[in-house]
Amino acid sequence: MNPRKIIIEPVTRVEGHGKVTIKLDENGKVSDAYLHIVEFRGFEKFIQGHPYWEAPVLVQRLCGICPVSHHLAAAKAIDQLVGIDPENLSPTATKLRRLLHYGQVFQSHALHFFYLASPDLLFGINAPAEKRNIVAVASENMELAKKGILMRKFGQEIIKALAGKKIHGILAVPGGVHKTFTKEERAYFLDGIKIPNIDTMIDWSKEIIDFMKNYHLENAQWIDNFAAYPSNHLSLVDKETGALELYNGRLRSVDFEGNELLNIEDIEYRYHFKEAVKPWSYLKFPYMTKYGSANGWNRVGPLARLNTCKYITTPLAEIERRIFKSTTQNKPNNMTMHTHWARLIEMLHCAELMKELLLDNELMATTDLVRKGTPRTKGIGIIEAPRGTLIHEYHTDDKGLITKCNLIVSTTHNNEAMNRGVRVVANEILSEKPEITEPMLNQIEIAIRAYDPCLSCATHALGEMPLIVQLKDYQGNLIDEKIR
Amino acid sequence: MKKLDNTLIIGIGNNTRQDDGLGWCFLDALVKNGFNEEKLLYKYQLMVEDTDLIAKYKTVFFVDANKTALNEGFLIEKLTPSKKVSFSTHAVPPNQILNLCETIYHKKPTAYLIKIEGYEWDFKIELSKKASENLKNAIKAFIKEF
Repeated sequence: MNPRKIIIEPVTRVEGHGKVTIKLDENGKVSDAYLHIVEFRGFEKFIQGHPYWEAPVLVQRLCGICPVSHHLAAAKAIDQLVGIDPENLSPTATKLRRLLHYGQVFQSHALHFFYLASPDLLFGINAPAEKRNIVAVASENMELAKKGILMRKFGQEIIKALAGKKIHGILAVPGGVHKTFTKEERAYFLDGIKIPNIDTMIDWSKEIIDFMKNYHLENAQWIDNFAAYPSNHLSLVDKETGALELYNGRLRSVDFEGNELLNIEDIEYRYHFKEAVKPWSYLKFPYMTKYGSANGWNRVGPLARLNTCKYITTPLAEIERRIFKSTTQNKPNNMTMHTHWARLIEMLHCAELMKELLLDNELMATTDLVRKGTPRTKGIGIIEAPRGTLIHEYHTDDKGLITKCNLIVSTTHNNEAMNRGVRVVANEILSEKPEITEPMLNQIEIAIRAYDPCLSCATHALGEMPLIVQLKDYQGNLIDEKIR
Repeated sequence: MKKLDNTLIIGIGNNTRQDDGLGWCFLDALVKNGFNEEKLLYKYQLMVEDTDLIAKYKTVFFVDANKTALNEGFLIEKLTPSKKVSFSTHAVPPNQILNLCETIYHKKPTAYLIKIEGYEWDFKIELSKKASENLKNAIKAFIKEF
């Protein structure tokens, strides 16, 4: 047998456009596997020359799924340019921004679980391709689909109420927020008249976690082992307590056994991270400088966050975290497919946090919404976006025009992790097989999909959804092609 | 004021891309013609959760710009649900939204797609002359027929 090359392009049911190449040697064994990110948009460059206050508005255009995350990360950085650190933002502004953020995480996680991931879980990895979509989920499990739709809608309605619209709205301004919350807006989320209320969101979040726990019991062999491998884990944690923290905290990394690798002030990130580049991808490979590119890469996102935090502040999610952690005897969880489970626990956490904030009268204060301090020329904003740690850094000149911008997007942190997952799965399912089937290739995608990668964010553009598989010999000649 | 109690009209598009804003301009024109704004919805694209929205209405109109040539510059066609899936989280076609609505909510709103031919798609908030003409004709036909 000649060496062969398998190409999956584009990868489906992820946000954006990616390609997988798997090389097989003359014995049919996987010799290498890559996830290529083949888009390029260059926001870091073209933001240069724009006034600093435009950053939270412009940079969120990176994405149609998580614009709020970019809006808030940029806003945190821009606050510093007007002399306001996160601790000095007014309580009302902080709470409004947090509510926006939790609504965003809630809706994004709902989108991923119900629309993108659930077909794999409900129908199995060998299900025909035409069945692996939300329409098939709706046909076979109407209630699940309906809840998924309404949970995403709830998060989006929170975003609309605060930012004016569901996509690319604006809440944050330098040093604060430009609007407050009204009694009528609050009632909309509490009374359950027009949409299911926040208590229902909490109940449904618990239900879907129960679904996941049952799924785990019935499919432990697969879900515990599929695409599993040891890694470091990185996220923000609460500065004082080490609890799960999505909006503002310290950066903490632990290795696969739980040994602490990093625990730093978030704004010191630049002294502790570097980004490697590889010729076959537009996506960079961040790593912790101290440990080098081979050992210093991290996973980020829901699984990493439950590995780095010491506990969760909201009671129901904390109960679920403890159950989740018991599967690994309280050690870090390196089982990639458990990311879905972790994501659902975060949904419950966000629902609980949203309820706390919706009942907080300070949210409706009409004064002290914006603060100003002594202007600076550098600002760094770091938040936990749905997919993981998101870093925005801006430098300005004395006229307030942006001279430098650095963005490390969540999916970028997961670059090495996703490549590792592709290699692990390719080795397990493709090596020495006489025939490469479509379900086999779907498993490669499942390994990537667990990270909910936003390839649009990481480089940044939208892509079509067909799957083209090409078999090539070692000289690059096309042997066979299948189009889904 | 012309009331649209059981009818929702969704304008799809982006008014900063010239004729891609035809769907929104259609709604603007309806407001000028006295239709109540609460039942007019401006959207960049349709998404899965719009299923929940249209399930509440008896009749739904989707209004969108059309890149290919149309005989009269516009076309009003009745929609039937489609089981075909060309799913992306960023945009879902109207006939697939109808299918989801029927599958999940067991509701079948009467639905129409109003296509209006556009010609220019650059970064500009202004319709081309020919598209504006098509819009006027589409509005006339809509008011006459419905």
